[in-house]
Amino acid sequence: MTQLVLGQVLNGAIIGAMYGIIALGITLTFGITGIVNFALGEFMMIGAYATYALVERGLPYPVAVVPACLIAAAAGYLSNKAFFRFTRNNLVNGLLVSIGLISIFESAAMLLWTATPVEMHFVLPGALRVGDLALPRMKVVVFAVIVVVIVATYLALARTWLGRAAFAYAQNPEAAMLMGVHTPRLESAVMLYSTGLAGLGGALYTSLYSLEPAMGGVYVLKGMEAAILGGIGSLMGSLWGGVILGVIEGVGSIFLPTAFRDAYGLAVLVAILLFRPSGLFGDE
Amino acid sequence: MKRVMLLLAALAITAAPAAAQEVVKIGQIEAQTGANAIYGWMSSQGTALAVDEINKAGGFKVATKTYKLQLIALDTRGEPKEATVQLKRLVEVDQAKYIFGPFLSNVFLAVRPYAAEFNGKLLMWGGATRIHDYVGTPGNEFLMRTWNWDAGKNGFGELMVDNLVKTTGAKKIAMLFQNDQGGKVLEDIYVPMFKQKGIEYRLDYFEPGTKDFSAVLAKIAAWKPDFLFPSYADSYLFDIVRQATEAGQLKKFFLVRGSLGPGLKNKDGIEEYIVYVPKYFEEAEKKDPKVAKFVKAYKDFYKRDFPYDQAPLCSASCYDHVYMLVEAMKKAGTVDDPAAVKKALMAMTYDGMWKIRFDEKGEAIFNFDVVRLKKGGALEVQHINPS
Repeated sequence: MTQLVLGQVLNGAIIGAMYGIIALGITLTFGITGIVNFALGEFMMIGAYATYALVERGLPYPVAVVPACLIAAAAGYLSNKAFFRFTRNNLVNGLLVSIGLISIFESAAMLLWTATPVEMHFVLPGALRVGDLALPRMKVVVFAVIVVVIVATYLALARTWLGRAAFAYAQNPEAAMLMGVHTPRLESAVMLYSTGLAGLGGALYTSLYSLEPAMGGVYVLKGMEAAILGGIGSLMGSLWGGVILGVIEGVGSIFLPTAFRDAYGLAVLVAILLFRPSGLFGDE
Repeated sequence: MKRVMLLLAALAITAAPAAAQEVVKIGQIEAQTGANAIYGWMSSQGTALAVDEINKAGGFKVATKTYKLQLIALDTRGEPKEATVQLKRLVEVDQAKYIFGPFLSNVFLAVRPYAAEFNGKLLMWGGATRIHDYVGTPGNEFLMRTWNWDAGKNGFGELMVDNLVKTTGAKKIAMLFQNDQGGKVLEDIYVPMFKQKGIEYRLDYFEPGTKDFSAVLAKIAAWKPDFLFPSYADSYLFDIVRQATEAGQLKKFFLVRGSLGPGLKNKDGIEEYIVYVPKYFEEAEKKDPKVAKFVKAYKDFYKRDFPYDQAPLCSASCYDHVYMLVEAMKKAGTVDDPAAVKKALMAMTYDGMWKIRFDEKGEAIFNFDVVRLKKGGALEVQHINPS
């Protein structure tokens, strides 16, 4: 039993890191620009299908990840220019635009690839074994990549002028503008980066799971939960929020029926919010 | 002026047969998109292909009139409410008397009460497993079940389990089903069957939309089953088989839904993958000219490769069903009386890609294959003809 639990702690942490990368996009977009992008799951789907399509055309997987992220980011940039920039600090409008985009992107994927799931060949087959514990190698790689990306994002925002400008913009856009921050450009940059991150999440997802057009919906909800659990605005909180959520789901599934796996994470989220309304790592 | 009159007369003559052309409408409600689209998408493909062929051949003659078919195929997305609205449209607006579908039990349960209001004026040809509970009962004469799924004495469930026990000696089976109507259907069918045969079993459900099965698979692996019996759509099976074999937790699979695809994709990780398929097309295409013709027609019509791993599910059978329906209309001598057409269907055996007939309740009986895939991709096909 100990090994079963330990295995699910590790596995949950890895799956949680996937939630974390979406949570990072949500927290960045909402925390800095005030835009609510519920369509981030669709940018993840774009990244995933783009990776799949490029690999199918002969590109090696690690190479395909880069243009896939760029394609997702470009879609995000265009969505911002066309729609999201008009929804700043307006939750309802942001939600409406997101729902519209979800529908458009899903339908487009359906037209291009149909509803039939597609799956890539194993990128890195096999599992790492310690005793009876077996962790697929690719999952370990995915976890490492996500941790590096989230820590790098944190460092970039904490230690660079651009990061400080972003925080200044988040606190007071007018004051930031008066201090020389080009706010429209910054807003676009945040949207570009967050959707690119979602694209990366999708590209990594492709190496682990089969793809279908509706895949983004589940992940954006998990990402949202992770972002709230970690504390909206907290970058490292998004990673921890995702990891905690993943571990709760994994371990909960061992002792409780797996049919209600999603509920375990939500129950813990509600319990934590009762005591820490701004999340585990959010500002009080 | 004379020339103009002649021209008009010629136009009237050539236009006359087109105006007299009668049309029989076939409505179809299937999930062509969505997580469970695999059944509906493939079946709507087979139907469209047969309708096109019949129309291109000039239609069909019933009594003194020649008819063409008009297919109105609507995408339910697997959503019961959507399907109910669509069925209402097909029956009331389009006045379709022949409805193909649904393949999904949750959709069927939602549309049945409405369809029953038209009992005697409608013929519904559905593949859903839950149709088994209603077909042949009073008030449900409009129903026929086009698929010999696992339920019932002519279904393949009993035969599959017998086959599994006799050939592998399996004593412990772990079931992993989606927590929805389809999963519950399988529980209702297989749990009593396993109990009766003294097979130890466990049943776990997963949430729709799940992609990572590692936790539940680890739990199941710790129970050390002889076979994992997962279900029910390829959208889940690809991930379940991959994750189970990747970690080396579970290597033997027994399937009554889904395709050979997940097994073939992970052929080096599995030990055994036993799957029900209505027809193993790779083999049948080489042996049966009718199957070869169908595969070629499919490729020409859709301008894409034949999806061997998915096609056996439904497309080919629905292709046969359209031809079978036309034959029944010819035999009944009417296209307007679904009850008479049903009577003709119940009395006939259609010899298409399958030999299809109906039992006394109105459930289809046809031959099927059991494919046994071994590590590395070696295949063994067993042909089963239900008596």
